[in-house]
Amino acid sequence: MNETMTPPPLDENALSRLRNIFGEDRLLTNDTDMMTYSYDASFETQLRPKNPQAAVIALSTEEVSECVKLANEYQIPVYPRGAATGQTGGAVPVKGGIMLDLSKMNRIIEIDHRNMQAIIEPGVIQNDLNEALKPYGLRFPPDPGSANMCTVGGMVSNNSSGLRAVKYGVTRHYVLGMEVVLPTGDIIVTGGAKSKALKSVSGYDLAHLMIGSEGTLGIVTRLRLKLLPLPVTRGIVLCSFERLEEAGEAVNAVFSSGLQPSAIEIMDFNCTKAVNMMKPELNLPLDNEAILVFEVDGAKEEVTSQVNRLRTVVEKYTNYIKFSDEPEECEKLWQARKLVGAAVGLLKPGGFRVYGGEDICVPISKLPETLREIHNIAGRYGIICGIYGHVGDGNMHTGPVVNMNNQLEMENVEKMIDDIHELAIRMEGTTTAEHGVGIVRAKYMDVEHGAAMEVMRAIKKTLDPNNILNPGKMALPN
Amino acid sequence: MKLLTAEESMKTCVRCGACRNVCPTLNITGREADGPRGRVLMARSLIEGNIPVNQEIKDQLDRCLLCSACVDACPIDVQVPDIVMLAKERIAAETETSVQTDIKKPVYPARTFKDYFFDHVLANQKRLNTVGNLLWFYQKSGLQSVTRGLGILKFFPEQMRQMERITPPILPPSRRKHHPEYTPSANKEKEPRGRAAFFHGCIMDVMFRETNDNSIKLLSKSGFDVVTPKAQVCCGALHHHSGKKDKAIELAKANIQAFEEANVDYIVTNAGGCGAALAEYTDLFRDDPRWLERAKSFSEKIRDISEIIYEKGEMPAAAGRGERVTYQPSCHLQYVMKVKDAPAKLVKQVPNSEYVDLPEKKYCCGSAGIYNLLQPKLANEILDKKMTRVKETESAVLITANPGCFLQMKLGVHREGMEKQIQTLHVVDYLMESIERAESGCQP
Repeated sequence: MNETMTPPPLDENALSRLRNIFGEDRLLTNDTDMMTYSYDASFETQLRPKNPQAAVIALSTEEVSECVKLANEYQIPVYPRGAATGQTGGAVPVKGGIMLDLSKMNRIIEIDHRNMQAIIEPGVIQNDLNEALKPYGLRFPPDPGSANMCTVGGMVSNNSSGLRAVKYGVTRHYVLGMEVVLPTGDIIVTGGAKSKALKSVSGYDLAHLMIGSEGTLGIVTRLRLKLLPLPVTRGIVLCSFERLEEAGEAVNAVFSSGLQPSAIEIMDFNCTKAVNMMKPELNLPLDNEAILVFEVDGAKEEVTSQVNRLRTVVEKYTNYIKFSDEPEECEKLWQARKLVGAAVGLLKPGGFRVYGGEDICVPISKLPETLREIHNIAGRYGIICGIYGHVGDGNMHTGPVVNMNNQLEMENVEKMIDDIHELAIRMEGTTTAEHGVGIVRAKYMDVEHGAAMEVMRAIKKTLDPNNILNPGKMALPN
Repeated sequence: MKLLTAEESMKTCVRCGACRNVCPTLNITGREADGPRGRVLMARSLIEGNIPVNQEIKDQLDRCLLCSACVDACPIDVQVPDIVMLAKERIAAETETSVQTDIKKPVYPARTFKDYFFDHVLANQKRLNTVGNLLWFYQKSGLQSVTRGLGILKFFPEQMRQMERITPPILPPSRRKHHPEYTPSANKEKEPRGRAAFFHGCIMDVMFRETNDNSIKLLSKSGFDVVTPKAQVCCGALHHHSGKKDKAIELAKANIQAFEEANVDYIVTNAGGCGAALAEYTDLFRDDPRWLERAKSFSEKIRDISEIIYEKGEMPAAAGRGERVTYQPSCHLQYVMKVKDAPAKLVKQVPNSEYVDLPEKKYCCGSAGIYNLLQPKLANEILDKKMTRVKETESAVLITANPGCFLQMKLGVHREGMEKQIQTLHVVDYLMESIERAESGCQP
């Protein structure tokens, strides 16, 4: 936590104009404020925090627009930020500048249940939106593990998703339109300025250019989202496999049998061990290589029949099976998976769980091989890690556990992270499936994308000629 | 006992942000430094000596309510309040010894008063009773009306003036004698539900004597044999939280001893703040194996009154009067003692009344000890938002489960000018009122 870069204070004129826009209370320049805007949830910013020169808390599109216009005038970088729960340093100010906090723009403007859509500000928390939708029997399906704390604006900017992407897709599939403040400060609405249509092929799909652009092409200030009905009920099948390959085969067999689970999650032997340490009463089998958790959803009778079919399909691959279509029992079975992210830290006394190389995705068929290879890499560096993730789409979360005071381990874990990303590309996969590029994966972008990277740079240059919005990210011009 | 010490715990924060959406101050200002992640980083940097001790960092850390909502939300239980407390202790120590800092030292008489009050009044029930007698005299002798009439109160800060107005009527000394040491279960036909010791608290027993009397009655009517040990003392929470750990340990030992002698199944409190402190006695004896075991068996017996009645007791027949009721939880009750909804569940059992959930009940009401005296601006913003939510429920009764929350909610109702529409009640008093209504023959 030492290498803090403290940039010089902002130009006095720029500050006084920011004060006019945001008022005394919402323009922050204190040392303590700068320090607390120096991070997101990434390991990178734990090691190398990055202070802004000022932070502002925006409450309206107009404020955002004025701030960006002013930034162009003074050539100050602007870093948009939601809840800063990202794992990649995507929202941190690598070049000083203005931290633009959007988390207070958190109003749900309209729930148009008859048209299956909602209009919201970007700072709304995913879970708060879904709580508000519940009385209408509706939901916004993308479900990252951070649903309790991440903003929908952040989800859109990173095109995030979660364990139910295997059936319901990713954030991209639920954005109908958005209001965006461009890098010049101009305001546009994508998907038809006044449209409430659920489908449209009119014009370039600008919303989808913005989605996943991590705040480098525009700042989302309002969102029109597509909603789905809430599933009536869910069922769970939890099973354990002696060998990883059997788990892979079981997943294949389930898909070939015509079943479409709403989630298929994998946990390796280290994760099982960690979960048992945290919750001994779950009593998961320990001497197997992997655990799979399948979830199905739908109407009650449908769920019961799917659970039964699933059991029959996986039975010949597994030596341990538990299942339920009762909500309370399902919740207990899910616990094993839900705890794992936090539990892996227990694998080592005084251990610190590192988020790094935590989001690769490979073709489903290469999953067992990739899992083994990750453990080989970890072994080479003498690091313990637990691997879990969304096996239904080949997306894996690697959790190395280190001692932060051990210098050698700290160096090794950074090398290990590099190797995991290279492995992902070698396996015909990607370095990131849900968390984004930010600063931590910028160095792999050219290898992963080749000539396409130049097109991305050209787009950035066209929309943001002064390189004002979130510079220093995604291997775009610095 | 907590797995890690504050110093170990602060190093485990991975800044995932799970705490963000439950923090009452972050909810108001949206400023990262007003949230748990920011506080852990600031406190840790200060404790590790990476940033200087100064007024700015002190002001920032003082804005934390210490409500523990973040610990409850944290997947690995990072002990944010303990970490903030540890940093504040360092700031206090530095302020005492160093000439380097710009921190304003507390004025001498104020400090002496605080020391005296903590060491010799709170810790001594007799002296606390004398204070109660003075307060009672102030209210009953006409002195209160004289003071108010003369406008003397205008010399006090606005927050204190408001608190003066909502201070509950103190019972006369004749009705504040010691509780009966033994009150058998009122349900003579059935086996008792257990033997419960009642922890009456220090301030609680002076300012809210009636609630304490009602608590014993309610326990007895719900089927418990109730013991109220005479030798019990203040829980020590305030001492511990203001850095007087030695005094806190002394009080804890006296309580452990007193309740061991009572030989009971449960130790019951009606104040979330006290209950949480008692349940955490083990942390005081982390390094004292002789007392640790005794503290463990003491802490394991701690139950909130609503919790024990809902889980082990038998709630007597009650009758409402058609009112709508809502509940603002106590933070220490819901986040430290992990009693999330037992008070609401009991209230729901009262026929002819309607319970409605308070939106955003996860947020602290802003009482938090003397927070509203120290951080008036932020506390008022928190309270105003809370009252907006209370009004949305259109309730006639606002239930609380801790004296601090009770006073704060009463203050909120007073500030809104809604004393005629909304009655603020401790859950125990509401239940006893409803039970007595049923006993007097009013059918729901």
